Amino acid sequence: MAGGMDLGVSSKGGKKSLDAALNLVPFIDLMAVTIVFLIMSAVWTQLGRLQVSQSGQSPSEQEPPPTQLQPITLLITEKDLKLTVGGSQLDALPITRDVKGRIDVEKLMLKLKELKTQQPDQAAITLSTEDSVKYEDLVRLIDTVVTDNTNTPLFPSVSVSPASAT
Amino acid sequence: MAIVSPGKRFGKRLAHSKVFGHGSGSHKSTNADLNVTPLVDMFVILVLFLIANFSATGELLSMNKDIQLPEAAHTEELTLAPVIQVSQQEVIVSGAVIGRVEDLAREDYLNIPALEEKLREMKKQFEDLHNQAGDTGAFKGDVNIQADKQVQFRIIKKVMFSCASAGYGNISFATMSASPDKKPETAMR
Repeated sequence: MAGGMDLGVSSKGGKKSLDAALNLVPFIDLMAVTIVFLIMSAVWTQLGRLQVSQSGQSPSEQEPPPTQLQPITLLITEKDLKLTVGGSQLDALPITRDVKGRIDVEKLMLKLKELKTQQPDQAAITLSTEDSVKYEDLVRLIDTVVTDNTNTPLFPSVSVSPASAT
Repeated sequence: MAIVSPGKRFGKRLAHSKVFGHGSGSHKSTNADLNVTPLVDMFVILVLFLIANFSATGELLSMNKDIQLPEAAHTEELTLAPVIQVSQQEVIVSGAVIGRVEDLAREDYLNIPALEEKLREMKKQFEDLHNQAGDTGAFKGDVNIQADKQVQFRIIKKVMFSCASAGYGNISFATMSASPDKKPETAMR
């Protein structure tokens, strides 16, 4: 049998089989129990979380941002995205969607990278969102402003506010 | 009674027959070894795969068929915190229905009073429990919002405002982890 072990020749000259069968039954029992346990405790959906705060209040562990930095606001409407840096509004980016219906964030990403190079110490951004914007789009934009596509942090401290409040 | 080998047994008359019986034929061993090596191989691979996928934190969110979570690539690990479920029909906190989304969308209030009350109650329970144990300052105000991706921001903002008013300032949006976009050329321009 496979897995046999050479036992040498018996001293009394009796011919014993050279193969010793390893008893695999307890091992199979152990494996079966382990598999059942692991299948029962398996989590098949990978979940994550995006930390946000409401505009006007920062999370308890965060310090207030230094005043010399220009605040960045992204106004999200159903039609376009408008970036405002320290009171001056940049060109509006019309919302386009990919085949899956998700917002195309490539142009926004370029703008954000540009802003990050101008203000490397700025970590905060406010997403001023209109009521009719879908949660899926908001999450996609939060996901975009937090980190760029090379996993470099852009603006990890995200605040969300209603558009009418700004 | 004697133990006999499994198989066909003919009568005494044919017991010694060369054709039907076991008369002069060679005696075969009645023990057949099953080759278990492929089975063990398969089990080992299965165990390794399941251990690689094993999550010690368990399931922190109860998945609801009415709530389809949005996908995000740059997420942090989910932590244990109260969960507010927002489907397209209703808002639920720890199994209790707080209100219907349709009604909440029509109201002009900035918050959801029932949700705020429920959260205050949960905060009080948490603090009482920790005060009894002599553990003050353990409340961090973490809350997870598990909302359907089609829900409008007008509902989310009310939920967020209610959380903040009740003292739950560290709000997290629960998402499905997705791989980062690798092919920007698929986007429509």
